[in-house]
Amino acid sequence: VSVERPPFAEARAERRTALDEHTAKKLVSGYGIAVPRSVVVRDETDARGACEGMTPPFVVKVVSADIIHKSDVGGVQIKLADADEVVAAIADIRTKVTSTTDRLEGFLLEEMVPAGHELVVGGVLDPQFGPMVMVGLGGIFVEVLGDVAFRICPITPRDAMEMLHELAAHKVLTGVRGGPVASEEAVVRTLLHVGGHDGILVDLQDEVAELDINPLIVTDTEAYAVDVRIVLTETPS
Amino acid sequence: MRNVDRGAPAALELFEPLFEPGTIAVVGASAKGQGPGNDYIRNLRSFGFQGPVYPIHPTADSIEGLAAYRTLADTPEPVDYAYVAIGSEMVPSVLEAAGGRVAFAQVMSSGFGEVEGGADLQQRLVDAAHRGGLRLLGPNCLGTHSPRGHITFIDRAPTELGSVGVVAQSGGLGVDLLRSSGRRGLHFSGLVTVGNSADIGPNDLIDFYLADADTRVIGLYLEEAKDGRRLFEQLRANAAAKPVVILKGGRTRQGQRAAASHTGALAGDDRAWDALAKQTGSVLVEDLEQFVDVLLALQTLHLHEHQPTEDVVLFGNGGGTSVLATDGLDRRGFALTTLEPDTVRTLEDLRLPPGTSVVNPIDAPAGSLAADEGRIAEAVLAAVLDRQRPGAIVMHLNLPVIVSNTDPTVDVPGNLVSAALRACAGHLDETHLILVLRSDGDPGIEERKRRYRGQAHDAGAPVFDTLTEAAQALASVRTVERFRRAVWPQA
Repeated sequence: VSVERPPFAEARAERRTALDEHTAKKLVSGYGIAVPRSVVVRDETDARGACEGMTPPFVVKVVSADIIHKSDVGGVQIKLADADEVVAAIADIRTKVTSTTDRLEGFLLEEMVPAGHELVVGGVLDPQFGPMVMVGLGGIFVEVLGDVAFRICPITPRDAMEMLHELAAHKVLTGVRGGPVASEEAVVRTLLHVGGHDGILVDLQDEVAELDINPLIVTDTEAYAVDVRIVLTETPS
Repeated sequence: MRNVDRGAPAALELFEPLFEPGTIAVVGASAKGQGPGNDYIRNLRSFGFQGPVYPIHPTADSIEGLAAYRTLADTPEPVDYAYVAIGSEMVPSVLEAAGGRVAFAQVMSSGFGEVEGGADLQQRLVDAAHRGGLRLLGPNCLGTHSPRGHITFIDRAPTELGSVGVVAQSGGLGVDLLRSSGRRGLHFSGLVTVGNSADIGPNDLIDFYLADADTRVIGLYLEEAKDGRRLFEQLRANAAAKPVVILKGGRTRQGQRAAASHTGALAGDDRAWDALAKQTGSVLVEDLEQFVDVLLALQTLHLHEHQPTEDVVLFGNGGGTSVLATDGLDRRGFALTTLEPDTVRTLEDLRLPPGTSVVNPIDAPAGSLAADEGRIAEAVLAAVLDRQRPGAIVMHLNLPVIVSNTDPTVDVPGNLVSAALRACAGHLDETHLILVLRSDGDPGIEERKRRYRGQAHDAGAPVFDTLTEAAQALASVRTVERFRRAVWPQA
């Protein structure tokens, strides 16, 4: 798979501080991370056509540089069964976000990934140690309990496995109380694509100040980056 | 040994004049015999430095009985190491005058980057050192201790050449460590205080210690990473071949503010330090006491990377002490070794007095320990080691209790220590022996303890004051052993 050089220059020329979601997903996909099949559509007509070649259920998300937390403003709709529901969702989102943005760039139409555990994988650029990678379980585990594991890049497979095992909530991933089992191997793979020796954070440390995969949905076989945010460094070297 | 750093010979060569200087200049000694430089000269003499010492002074002709010179450029021979302790404003011009004839200058003076508005002066200092053609240590530090070079910066410094190489960003902490040597038996291959690290930083000295044959264990007191990236890469490449113990100052928000005014340290993400330790097999400790304990354990023990220490046999006096020690070991993830029936039978056959428990913990009151004048310890530990290989044996002796309750004409604790060392002597590659010698501070007891400690350390068994310290240190030893087993290619 040839990795297309990421369009950081373009984003900077447009004075963006972050890549848009679709571009960010294409980037992480180029590094081997699974992402949902997706396409950016301009409007309802466009979307109806795009649905033809895709497998439901669908997800629709607003695309706008002004909107970071898309679901907070009603910019995300999930579990859409067919093209009709997609079209209705687009109309609904457009109404809801008009007060937030006048730069509506379109809509991201995606195949919805199977249900699984929600993890968060992140990357930051530490002023002293350089790129660092982080993992935690989504929701209260990260936000309330601060249950996250950090490592300095580049990480080894052993580092990645240790990160998972060091989470207080690690047991949840192994399927407690009849819950689903998460593929640790898929998470480790993802962590290495992000923070390994040829991963995103090391490869693009001049460009990427912050990377946030939230959620990373992990089934018993695969880990999907369902939302990806990539914040640019202030000045690329 | 494992992979040797490509920069190793360069680091050895670079730092030779610092660790084994042939000539020393002292800036900051006065003709009247007062001043930090005068103390320094006296300390050098009593420490056995034999080379020429050149006091540098603008007017005096003679200081401490030595001919004085006007500038660093005027000395009869080039200077390997210059000790500089004068007012901060005067330092740059003194260094600039060196004219390429000085290898290292260590600047003790404070009032540079660590104080408000001192950054400019620190920059001038660095520029002056560069123009003077020398490498700079400090400013805002206390000196270098190097037994091989017979140099030190405190009085009554330990002269023995040891295996622990230390970099301390704090001078005072360096002094504390040197002072702990006598009390705890820690021996240094070198100890360098680096203060603000305006030029030479911890990373450079780590390169030296990693390459230096005398250094087997490295201790770092750091208030900031300086070059965190390089630190990570150095320690990762080392892969705990030389165990590294890190005491990081300023890990809390308030501690970080204190560090900023102490050495001008910059804030970083504290979580990076935990990550660094885990990824490099380094031991991150919380305080000076733990730093000394862990360095002592690593200095003294042969590490068991083939079978990391996971279980312990406890043997000693004090029922409650044994219970608490068991709790302390359990909390740190150690198992108390289950003694096999045959082992227990052999122990029972020793017919120790009532009150003795021969399951692990082996709890023997003073009266039982006095059996065979204390030599019973050899039979007890041999009974264990004949059939089993616990990761460690921890023998704890409450010295005042044993001394008060046994024949005063017999050195029962001494016999216990010797007996334990004999029993374990052939097994230290599989079973660590750790001694906990508890004292009440009585001078007579302390004197005995000092004696036993020397004997135990020579035999490869570290001595601790408390069971908690022993358990903590053993857990750190296990950290290094586990890392090595996980990361080193298996033979």
